[in-house]
Amino acid sequence: MPGIVIVATAEGQGTNPAALELLGGGAGLAKALGCPLEAVLVSGSGTDPAGPAAKLFAGGARRVYSVRHERLGNGSPEAALEALTAACRRAEPRVVLFSADRLGLEVAPRLAHRLGGSMITDAVALEVRDGDVVATRPAFGGKAMEQVAARATPQVVTVKLRALEPAALDESRSGELVEVPVDLDPGVDRVKLVERVEEAAEGPKLETARVVIGGGRGVGGAENFKQLEELARVLGAALGASRAAVDEGWVPASWQIGQTGKAIASDLYIAVGISGASQHTAGISGVKTIVAINTDPEAPIFERAHLGVVGDHKAVVPALTARLKELLGK
Amino acid sequence: MNIVVCLKQIIDYEIPPRAFRIDRQKKKPAMPDASLVIGPFDENALEVALQLREKAGGGRITAVSMGPESAIEALRKALAVTADEAVLLSDPAFSDLDPFGTARVLGAAIKKLGGADLVLTGRQSGDWDAGQVGQLLAEELGAPCVNFAFRAEPGGDGRVRLYKETPGGAEILEAGTPVVATVTNAETNQLRLAKVRDLMAANRKPVPTWSAADLGLDPAALAAGRIEVLDLYVPTYDARCEFVTGETPEDKASALARRLVELKLV
Amino acid sequence: MDLSNPMREVYWNITGKNLMYVLLVPVLVAFFRGFYSKYRLWKIGRPTRRRDNWRRRLAGFFRGAVVQEKNFRDRYSGWMHFFIWGGMLVLFIGTANVALDEYLGVPTMEGLFYLYFQSLVLDVFGLLAIVGLAMALYRRYVVRPPRLHRTPQDAVFLGLLLLVLVTGFVIEGLRIAVTEDPWAAWSPVGWAFAAAFRATGMAAETMVGLHRFSWWFHLALAFAWIACVPYTKLTHLVTSPANIYMRSLGPKGRLEPINLETAEFLGASNLRHFTWKQLFDLDACTECGRCQDACPAHATLKPLNPKAVVLDLRDYMHEYGPLYLRRAQDDPWAAPAETPDGRPVPVMVGAVIAEDALWSCTTCRACMEACPVEIEHVPAIMDMRRFLAMDQASMPEGMADAIRSLETRGHPFRGTGGARTDWLQGLDVPVLDLSAGGGTRGAAGGAGADGAGPDADFDVLWWVGCAMAFDERNQKVARSLARVLHRAGVRFAILGNREKCTGDAARRIGHEYLFQTLAGENVATLNQALGNGRPRRIVTACPHCYNTLKHEYPDFGGHYDVVHHTEFIRELVDSGRLKLDGEVRETITFHDPCYLGRYNDVYDAPRKTLKDLSGAEVREIERARESSFCCGGGGALVFVEERIGTRINQTRARQAAETGARTVCTACPFCMTMLADGLKTTSGDEVQALDLAELVDRATAPAGPAAVGAGTGASPGDGSR
Repeated sequence: MPGIVIVATAEGQGTNPAALELLGGGAGLAKALGCPLEAVLVSGSGTDPAGPAAKLFAGGARRVYSVRHERLGNGSPEAALEALTAACRRAEPRVVLFSADRLGLEVAPRLAHRLGGSMITDAVALEVRDGDVVATRPAFGGKAMEQVAARATPQVVTVKLRALEPAALDESRSGELVEVPVDLDPGVDRVKLVERVEEAAEGPKLETARVVIGGGRGVGGAENFKQLEELARVLGAALGASRAAVDEGWVPASWQIGQTGKAIASDLYIAVGISGASQHTAGISGVKTIVAINTDPEAPIFERAHLGVVGDHKAVVPALTARLKELLGK
Repeated sequence: MNIVVCLKQIIDYEIPPRAFRIDRQKKKPAMPDASLVIGPFDENALEVALQLREKAGGGRITAVSMGPESAIEALRKALAVTADEAVLLSDPAFSDLDPFGTARVLGAAIKKLGGADLVLTGRQSGDWDAGQVGQLLAEELGAPCVNFAFRAEPGGDGRVRLYKETPGGAEILEAGTPVVATVTNAETNQLRLAKVRDLMAANRKPVPTWSAADLGLDPAALAAGRIEVLDLYVPTYDARCEFVTGETPEDKASALARRLVELKLV
Repeated sequence: MDLSNPMREVYWNITGKNLMYVLLVPVLVAFFRGFYSKYRLWKIGRPTRRRDNWRRRLAGFFRGAVVQEKNFRDRYSGWMHFFIWGGMLVLFIGTANVALDEYLGVPTMEGLFYLYFQSLVLDVFGLLAIVGLAMALYRRYVVRPPRLHRTPQDAVFLGLLLLVLVTGFVIEGLRIAVTEDPWAAWSPVGWAFAAAFRATGMAAETMVGLHRFSWWFHLALAFAWIACVPYTKLTHLVTSPANIYMRSLGPKGRLEPINLETAEFLGASNLRHFTWKQLFDLDACTECGRCQDACPAHATLKPLNPKAVVLDLRDYMHEYGPLYLRRAQDDPWAAPAETPDGRPVPVMVGAVIAEDALWSCTTCRACMEACPVEIEHVPAIMDMRRFLAMDQASMPEGMADAIRSLETRGHPFRGTGGARTDWLQGLDVPVLDLSAGGGTRGAAGGAGADGAGPDADFDVLWWVGCAMAFDERNQKVARSLARVLHRAGVRFAILGNREKCTGDAARRIGHEYLFQTLAGENVATLNQALGNGRPRRIVTACPHCYNTLKHEYPDFGGHYDVVHHTEFIRELVDSGRLKLDGEVRETITFHDPCYLGRYNDVYDAPRKTLKDLSGAEVREIERARESSFCCGGGGALVFVEERIGTRINQTRARQAAETGARTVCTACPFCMTMLADGLKTTSGDEVQALDLAELVDRATAPAGPAAVGAGTGASPGDGSR
């Protein structure tokens, strides 16, 4: 019986964390559609799939299709696509859930094409209506939300991280582990890796970061940016600044966000000590959620912010960092 | 080397949330005065193509856009930065296509052009942001696909060297042709300004329009979409600032941290 | 000797004076050859009309070249220069009179004319010339103001001139001493010299010999000096007055349009692309450095110095110009590539004039205002920018972003995709509906706003401008002005989203193509909006829009009656429609926006209104009116990150704060942006920047100043520009 298949990747003896979220969300769909919940486990050749598979069983998967190949460990989407196609041909799923990470972003649409199914990306919520998956996803840079129904099967969906409640693990559960032989088409060699360049700079780039923390004149000095750096480390955020802070020489010019600096499009932007002059806000129109921390309740930044704290950042930011460390278990 | 760059004309992505309006019945944005622009990543793709042609010391860049008549402006802009040719794909049957339909049309157009060594698209459109068309186009053309590319250079033996952004840095890849690459932004690929002489020449250049019939596509088959948009709405949380309260700065910080976690923002 | 007829013997003690004419030949040859070769270089430039309207030109010539008004703005320089050139001129006339007497029999060397003019006046002016030279030497070599540089040339020709004058008096003194001239007292300086010679106890024989030697020496020096004229900066004796006569008579704010359909080149990248007048400018420069002193870019350590631009171009023209005279290669507009001995000719834009220098120009026109000989620096800089912007598509990143935004969105503010009518939320501001059906249309989001067709009842079209519509700080100014217009009962309307950037930003970047595109669209819109019915005016609060609408749109078929809001408010106050009853207890200083003041001579209207505010105390900044110091935002530099040197806006903010005023009033959205930012950095929250409309809003608010004041003050917050 065609089921819900979630795509997991092996990480050591477990899986990628998002797999549990997919199992959690997938269980809801399986229940609504009355079909089984299964998983495809992608792993490199050196990995024993039994461990990760056990995690998937514990998370609610009834069957795990394991695809294993040395080419699957190095992030080659061409190889992953071949392997996943093989696995899905075997599983004949009704719904395929990917996490909207690099694997999902790079492979899911092509998989849907190969399987003759439908594709929805970046879902933040899933439901079933009239037997079809209906996903809610942001569009227009988060300025609108759309609800999209899949109308061709298999219904492939990539789901944003943390959109779904992770499945509760029940180690007593077990299931069937099916090894799917992977016979990679020579086509995967059409793209060859020449060199891998590891970025020396720590932290993500401003333009592509999902979380950005920006400091303005109100931060009050170069040394105070250290507090923001600490917060950025906890959140895996990139650091930016308003022109005022750059002007003061507290931070390098490459940090500047705004009309004469960089434009960011992060999911979250925390503006600290930034009043919100249009020079600056010009660069944050693509941000989905803006959080402002400022002593002045009248600061224009609060007109643009979704969440606001009126207070002295010198006290708020370290406390926030500490609290987030606890909550995120870091 | 034949390079095809696919461009989408979209509603200005810089419209701020407070000015963003939609027509919920039509499930479309409703801002008649809004500017129409080229998708930001499509502009990056065009720049990558221009730089590749420079580095290769030659080659032919064809800009292709599927859209209404107005999309010719996007193509003129491509011609102005010295794309060699432009083709507009316009037909009532092409309106409101899902990414599969779009890829089908673009694929047919590229085949009609005689194929391409490298097809470049933006990593996502900048409006609906499905981020699928480039990859689906690769399937249509039976070509491999390199995503998040930010730079292209001529490789050995007629191959293309592509620089791919990865979470940890970058990968340098070499691909045989044909290959599709979806392009992301980087410091090096902001679209250049046009020289005025080229701008004026671009206005005089003919831009052919191809319809479904020209591409040998069946409108009915295209219309059968694989997805259906049920609703489009403006989320309400954008409306006003929610002030986090507390007695002390520490209280406020704790409350903010909780809200961030509740809202799945961190 | 007939004592009743004062006279002296011409050519006393001189034999073989005709040798003088033999010597004169090579002098004249050198003189005219020099100017002819200069003339050939000027002719490299394109044609332009600069000899029309002789009456106006002559009037300007009188003020500029005869009275030399601008020279006297610096008193010391003014008198110094007047003494030198006045002395030279009078002495030259005196010398010419001798020739008239000798060859034409005009009795200039006898009678009262001889006594008063040839003796007394000449002596006095000769002395004044020496005084002037002493002042010049003292200033250049002792005071050493930075605007003057010191070349060997300066020392040589000042010294030479001093020697000519001194030897002149030596000759006169010796003659008087030997001939015991009864009218010697009428030549007081010569008389003093004579007394000195006599006091030395020198023998008459010796004096006669010395006189003869001095006479020839004086002649040789004077001839040498004349021969030098076309080869040194003495050229300005001829070229500067001519340049003043041929100055631009057009509106100061109008740039020469380019016919893009027929243009064979875009902007200026070599000498051929300039007009002959622009090349003539280079030789008219006196190297006085007033432009350098006036330039805000130079004052803040930018690589731009208007004096250096002129002199570097001049040197380039003198060195490589002759190569342009050879028949050009295939392209008649190309620059010569190399010298006959194979050296490459440096590129004019990039090497001779650095790109950074060109992009540092705020087009504030302070240099041109200061230039005593009417050199046109800004149009030349603009022509080179046009080359960079259009031919090379090369410009600073902030400007490129502004161009991109203008191309797609019709306004230069990157990252702003909102509607032009966002600012009028909650205000009753009618938006014209120019769509085919006409009728009425509410502004997007403007609750209660009435729409109005082109036939609607309005007297004044308010051109809002992009900065007022999109920039948050300036939106407050727009809201203030809307209230003020309502209170005065002005029937006005705005164009809403049909308004596009006037194109000033594009034009001052150098992107003439984009400017003309925008101008074409706007002229069509305005002609439709203003076309039928009674004459209507355009009012705008942006001096850049004002200048472009008023002076630049006529070239594109748009002829409008345009007033700036400072002028319009003045009219409303004068006619009693606006009563400035409310108290505005502020010490205020007014910052003159360049495009309002220097470009359009509107200085008094805003000042009068400020003085009328009850409770306000107005103080002047040192650099006010014609010599106002730019905010740093002109020439589209408001869009550029100022990375080199110090910041112009902070410099200006300090100048304003030095007056002790707590409010800096301005009347330009770019000045507002720049000054508010500069003041925040230099004065914290001590000094605020307000637009005149905001002060008038407070003074006219029915609820009293306090209630409205809160809504019109500078934006609060800790600042992040």
